[in-house]
Amino acid sequence: MATVSLKNINKTYANGHQAIENLNLDITDGEMLVLVGPSGCGKSTSLRMVAGLETITGGDLYIDDVRVNDLEPSERDIAMVFQNYALYPHMTVFQNMAYGLKNRKVPKDEIQKKVEKAAEILEITNLLHNKPGQLSGGQRQRVAMGRAIVRNPKVFLFDEPLSNLDAKLRVQMRIEIKRLQQEFATTAIYVTHDQVEAMTLADRLVVMNEGNVEQVGPPIELYEKPATQFVAGFLGSPAMNFLDASLNGNRLTLSADVVLELNDPNLPADAHDLDVVLGIRPEHMEACEEAEADFTLSVDMIEPLGADTLLYGYFPGTESLITSEQPGKQQFKRGHRLALRVDRERCHLFDKATGKRLGS
Amino acid sequence: MVENRPWLTVTRHLVLILGVFIIGFPIWIALVASTNSSSEFVSGLMPLWFGEEGFGNFRRVLTNEERVLGVSVSASWMMWNSFIMAMVIAVGKIVISILSAYAIVYFRFPFRKTCFWLIFLTLMLPVEVRILPTYEVVASLGMLNSYAGLTIPLIASATATFLFRQFFMSVPSSLMEAARIDGAGPFKFFKDILLPLSVNNIAALFVILFIYGWNQYLWPLLITTDENYYTIVMVIKRLMSAGEGNIPWNIIMTTTILAMLPPVIVVLGMQKLFVKGLIEQEK
Repeated sequence: MATVSLKNINKTYANGHQAIENLNLDITDGEMLVLVGPSGCGKSTSLRMVAGLETITGGDLYIDDVRVNDLEPSERDIAMVFQNYALYPHMTVFQNMAYGLKNRKVPKDEIQKKVEKAAEILEITNLLHNKPGQLSGGQRQRVAMGRAIVRNPKVFLFDEPLSNLDAKLRVQMRIEIKRLQQEFATTAIYVTHDQVEAMTLADRLVVMNEGNVEQVGPPIELYEKPATQFVAGFLGSPAMNFLDASLNGNRLTLSADVVLELNDPNLPADAHDLDVVLGIRPEHMEACEEAEADFTLSVDMIEPLGADTLLYGYFPGTESLITSEQPGKQQFKRGHRLALRVDRERCHLFDKATGKRLGS
Repeated sequence: MVENRPWLTVTRHLVLILGVFIIGFPIWIALVASTNSSSEFVSGLMPLWFGEEGFGNFRRVLTNEERVLGVSVSASWMMWNSFIMAMVIAVGKIVISILSAYAIVYFRFPFRKTCFWLIFLTLMLPVEVRILPTYEVVASLGMLNSYAGLTIPLIASATATFLFRQFFMSVPSSLMEAARIDGAGPFKFFKDILLPLSVNNIAALFVILFIYGWNQYLWPLLITTDENYYTIVMVIKRLMSAGEGNIPWNIIMTTTILAMLPPVIVVLGMQKLFVKGLIEQEK
């Protein structure tokens, strides 16, 4: 039960490299905040600063309105789950989970009770006397979670906890983490580079890039209204298509043959030959009759995924490779000419120079 | 490699048998000689089969009956000296080097790298090279003829520090971070996490260092004049150079066998941990 607040947080390394620039985030009580971004974007550094494993070189960090910049990690009442689990290899599962409590001088019988309860929640009671070396990846992950929940901390911190698991287990554990976090209603910060994980787990999502926050908001909002081209390209799989275009009022010229009339009152009315980037998701281009089509795509490569089929081809008259997602029941062949219509309502326009979103 | 080439098998076995012979024959000679009486050696030839003495030579050497060793102390006393020396050196080296490696790997302090390289440089200065200055220091501190003098100058060890440093660096840093979050300070982390993880390495090092300490010859020879501090290795050499051409081979070989025993016991006893410590990395 806690709030976490980052105010103008900066991190500059001794070699002068600035990893985080003026980070401002407010995490409300019981919220699951997910930090997502490509590697090197500063998401792990931010998390480690909250944990106290990394010094904060500027700004203030508050947990429950107490400034914790100078507190040791153990004094911040947080628990962290690491990517490689970081279980103590020579201790049994029980000892692993009890270690933090033992160091806090919790009475023995209480430790016993708490560990057993946490083990029950995570269904690892039968593993309590095994050593981590004898456990599978998923079981180790559970133990790592158990070590976090047994202390009932103010904040859970997750540092890419699922990236060492295989795909199937990852989905299973993802659901488990969500369930646990909701059950305990504990404030949590979760770092990942996997956008599916980010979308599914987050109450609010923070997309980071090169030490800066690109956008903060509920996952669906970020997906539907990405504020920058970076966010648009990062979220969604398969990734959004980007096409260079020029904008005149509501007229979008993609190539000599392809011109789209948009109907967005919020576009800059005075736009005159403005260089923009059109973002359109693969699932927002519909197959249609030749007559209604905006353009035809000559299919170059096909990836059947079962439920859907991904079709790749060059946008006519350009060298931009684009992806189209079509229902899987239809059969396609290489060289197939696919007539496509762009969903006007789901076009995203970005200023080519700044990468910022244009219009609504 | 599973191959069935008879001549290769034969050659392989011949090479191995030759190796066993080269190692084993001198030990056999020593063992046989220790059971013969001194008269068997007058001809100048080594007997190749057990003699009449049985354990008589051992009894005489261990109790120094009739001053067979040419000194006033018995072999059992000298083995005790050797044991103390080997133990203190092995334990001392491990304690000092594990602590310095811990400091070098886990703490950020000024001139950390310099410290490491200074330690590393001492690899170039083994006892034999710095023996005169070291003697001077030990003499001025009044540590001649003492256990402290026998052991302390040999305790600092770059090799062991280096080995622990490499091992600590292979321990994932998240383990230390997890311990910090779990409320373990530097000392607790060392005691609860690092030390238990290092057990195999410690065992492997102990075996090597115990033998190193036990086999010391030059240093104890230099700083002990009081026979009460003689080590078993020293006396073997003394026996050989003793006297009027009549070298007591049976006594020498008996002492040799005795001197060989403790290292063998240590190796056999710690074999499993020793091998683990040398090969096992991450679990």
